[in-house]
Amino acid sequence: MRIEISYKFIIGFIVVVVSGILVNLVVPYIKGIEPEFRQVFAIFCSLVVGLIIGSVFSRAFSDKIRRLTSAGDRIRQGDLSEDVVVVGSFPDETNDLAKAMNQFQASLRILVGDIRNIAFRVASSSQNLSGTSQEMSASAQEVARATDQITKGAETQAEMVEESTRLFKEVAVSIKLVASSAKTVADSADQTLETARSGNDMAGSSLDSIRQVLTEAENSGQQMVNFIAQLEKISTFVEVINGIAQKTNLLALNATIEAARAGEYGHGFAVVAEEIRKLADSTTTSADEITGLVESIRKEGQQVQTSMAQVIDEMESGREAADRTNQAFSDITQNAEGTRAKASSIAELAEQQISSAERINRAIDEIGRVVSDNAAATEQVSAATEEQSAAMEEMAQSTKELSNMSESMLQIVQQFKLVKEQEQD
Amino acid sequence: MTLILTYRLGNDLYGLEIDAIQEIIEDAELHHVPRATGVICGAINFHGQILAVIDLPTLLDFAVDKHDHRHLVLTSEHRSLVLKTSCVERIVNLEMESLEPPPADHDRPAVRGIIEFDESIINLLDTDEVIKQLEDIYAE
Repeated sequence: MRIEISYKFIIGFIVVVVSGILVNLVVPYIKGIEPEFRQVFAIFCSLVVGLIIGSVFSRAFSDKIRRLTSAGDRIRQGDLSEDVVVVGSFPDETNDLAKAMNQFQASLRILVGDIRNIAFRVASSSQNLSGTSQEMSASAQEVARATDQITKGAETQAEMVEESTRLFKEVAVSIKLVASSAKTVADSADQTLETARSGNDMAGSSLDSIRQVLTEAENSGQQMVNFIAQLEKISTFVEVINGIAQKTNLLALNATIEAARAGEYGHGFAVVAEEIRKLADSTTTSADEITGLVESIRKEGQQVQTSMAQVIDEMESGREAADRTNQAFSDITQNAEGTRAKASSIAELAEQQISSAERINRAIDEIGRVVSDNAAATEQVSAATEEQSAAMEEMAQSTKELSNMSESMLQIVQQFKLVKEQEQD
Repeated sequence: MTLILTYRLGNDLYGLEIDAIQEIIEDAELHHVPRATGVICGAINFHGQILAVIDLPTLLDFAVDKHDHRHLVLTSEHRSLVLKTSCVERIVNLEMESLEPPPADHDRPAVRGIIEFDESIINLLDTDEVIKQLEDIYAE
């Protein structure tokens, strides 16, 4: 039966009052008690009854309150494992309170369980998140490294492109040098050609001159031969004159002999004969001189002939040399023409190469620009990656914090005991 | 003054009075003479006369070198001998008073006397000696 506390207090009061009255009624019937003490006894008995009843009542009430208090204390300590039980013959508000506390404990238990589950899940999620964020951070670092490498690669590319550009410029300069050298060679070949042609002409004209001289020398040789033949004729004439002089001399001698034989008459004749003999002698002397002259002229003529033959020989060798010179100049001309053609083709090729090199240079410049763009883009990527990495770090930090928070929340939630010890295990 | 014809026998200068000379001939056609020794080198036809040609340098033991193809035809007083010399020179006019007999040690053969002329010595030929030598040769 449910009796409210207020009623219990009223009942107790009534019981005390009733017991007082009863005692007052009973006391006069009790022997041994002086009448003057009856009042005091009655009060005493009433007080005793009131004390007993009050004590029992308040003890029961206190017990209930203590139980509630201990349950509240237990709940405060987080032990939600036991229900609040209030025993008593007559349920009252404490039982309601206990019931309410039990309901509160049950809902708290559910809440704590939910919180714990959620905290568990948050912890595991945060752990997962932490792992993921670490992975992401690692990936971001990986990406950062990759972009670093790409950046470095781009830098190397840029350097290489620069180097290539420089090299190609040098090559272009070299090609220009080659072209100018080839042009110079072509000009030289032209000059050589010109010189060789004039040399050829000169050799040809000298050859003509030599031929002319040779012809003239041959003519002179022929003239010399004719001259010597004429000299031979002179010699013949001189011989004839000599013979005539000899005959005259003989005639003079015989005339002298005849004149001597004629004696005084032949004297004049002898004188004449002597004169004739002298003439003949001087004729012979002159003829001898002529012979000597002719001889020396013939010798000189022969020497001249020999010299001329030598000259002709030398002229012949000179002609051969001039022929060879001519041939050499022809060869030089041919070679110079070949050289000029080759140099010209080299120059043309070099020109083509120059235009190709310029195109290549333009292409390399384009590549350089692309590489620069790439480098810039890569730097942007790098920066973004760094930002991402920083965000990742922050996220990891946050995740760690979250994890820590979930851990501490778990720890806090763990303080709640939801079931009994033996049940927990 | 006497006219002397000078001529050479080898290198020696000889002379002969032109009175003894009939004529000087040149390039006479020389005919072969049978049995003739080296002294007679042939015969010539001199105006119809057949005359033997005496090789004077050979006869007088001179070194034989060249001849000038001139021969001296002597007068009949000198047996019309034809003398072949080395070389006929000229006719000179000499004073016979300056003719000297050859010295004792004169080794030139058939010399009648020597006479100085124009810084050289002319040996005057002894025709008798020549004839004598010829006779000696053909007497053998």
